[in-house]
Amino acid sequence: MNCPRCVQRIHRAAESCPHCGFSIADADVQFGIDPPQIRCLTDSAGILRRRDRQSVEAAMEKITRRFPQIFVALYTGSLGDVANIRPFSFWLLNRAVYEDAPSHMANDAGILVTIDPESKAATMVFGYLLDPFLNTQDIFECLSRAHPYWLDGRYADGFLKALNHLEVILRKKFKKARRDSEPQKPWELTPHPAEDLGQGVRTLDQTIAEPPPTEEATS
Amino acid sequence: MSFLAHFLATCALVSLPLSAASPAPASVNPPPAESPPPSAETIRPFIPIPEKFIPAYFGKRPDSYLIDPQKLLSPSDFRNRLAFLNYHASDSAIDLFVFVIGRDQEIPAGIQLDEMIRRFFSSGRPAVIVFYYPNSVQRSTLLLSPSIASTIPLTEQRRILESAVMQASRKTNLSEQTEQFLVQLSIRIFWMEQMISGKSAQSEEAPHTILNPALIKSAAKAARFAKLQEVGMRLMIPAASALGTLAIIALLVALRRLTTRHFFPVHPVETRLGGDHAAGIGAVITFASAKVPPASQREQVTDFSRRF
Repeated sequence: MNCPRCVQRIHRAAESCPHCGFSIADADVQFGIDPPQIRCLTDSAGILRRRDRQSVEAAMEKITRRFPQIFVALYTGSLGDVANIRPFSFWLLNRAVYEDAPSHMANDAGILVTIDPESKAATMVFGYLLDPFLNTQDIFECLSRAHPYWLDGRYADGFLKALNHLEVILRKKFKKARRDSEPQKPWELTPHPAEDLGQGVRTLDQTIAEPPPTEEATS
Repeated sequence: MSFLAHFLATCALVSLPLSAASPAPASVNPPPAESPPPSAETIRPFIPIPEKFIPAYFGKRPDSYLIDPQKLLSPSDFRNRLAFLNYHASDSAIDLFVFVIGRDQEIPAGIQLDEMIRRFFSSGRPAVIVFYYPNSVQRSTLLLSPSIASTIPLTEQRRILESAVMQASRKTNLSEQTEQFLVQLSIRIFWMEQMISGKSAQSEEAPHTILNPALIKSAAKAARFAKLQEVGMRLMIPAASALGTLAIIALLVALRRLTTRHFFPVHPVETRLGGDHAAGIGAVITFASAKVPPASQREQVTDFSRRF
């Protein structure tokens, strides 16, 4: 996992970035302390048409239907500078209250896509629930699918493509997680006993070869 | 003759009762009962076929199955009937020769039909020779080539001609009348062929069937593709079942994918950077220019570094 500000790798349980000292407190100062109440689909930049919003919402619901622990959110807005998009997304996923997200889900289960049409940048962040399963490359692959559409200003189409690929990746990751969580098969657990068996045979041979103790010897 | 066999097997069959054996005439004529009531025309004496047409009728073995030197049939009728006779010849072992003679004409007394038949039809394929009188079909005469004359009883020969005349008499139009006459003859020749080959020895009563010539034509077309159809039918069932199985499997897989819910295992994760729900950043991509493709953005770097 990388720091949202300096993009340096950070280790587990780091309270702040060891390289630049960034933490959520810095983001709070930059973007506000009060938690924003927003909907999963918040088009502050106004780049989605009504029909686009319907298809986008349907795609987001589809992900939740397939993966009931997860919800997807999309935020579009002008953030001024491309450098702001990383810490903003980090802050938004941590601080936002999603009004229409399923009540049983915390933001840990969220996947947030942020599009800044002004600085022409987009990011995808995910919560702690998917932390063991997804990595930066997976997310980058999803965003790459959207890139040609976003170049043309077709934000909804790009987002749908990204979600489609995200679903494929999540399905693969789910299969891998299920495989990993299954108990190992007996033949995978125990080593081949050939060597032990050989030792046993050799021991037995030695026992037979040795003559039994005579009466003289015992006396 | 396979198409006829097929149709005769599937059509309703009507048998004519066997009549008592009659004296063996040189040629077979329909019974007098079939003749229309006498009129001024019928009692008028017949005139012999004009001399100039005699060689065309009786001078040589005909080189066509339809002999009409007087052009008594219209050109289209002649063409259609000849096509049918050609088709019959291609499908049957017994040829059918039809001599068309005017309704008021008769074969000159000097012509010995038996002699002519012996001379021209002793060699080659067996043949049925019919002298056909348009609009006076009941006067038609039927003869058989020597090779089959002894095999087919006279009663049978008589029945063949009777049924053809009966079918033709139902039509008033000359063209349809001729067509019906020839079609019925062709059908009866098929049964004659069966009788000769001994296949129908157990059923002496040949079925009396009326076939639509249009059906015969379509059956002839169908016969050409019979083998192809047979192969197709043989492959169709396994192919259809395989396709059906594949479709069902695809449907089940699609249904399973649509309805399956995936639940990830929940692992305890330590919080980072003070974030209660998420930490760090997944990935960022810029789409300001097509000159900066995603591949060049794979390494996540700060915006400052990218600019530098």
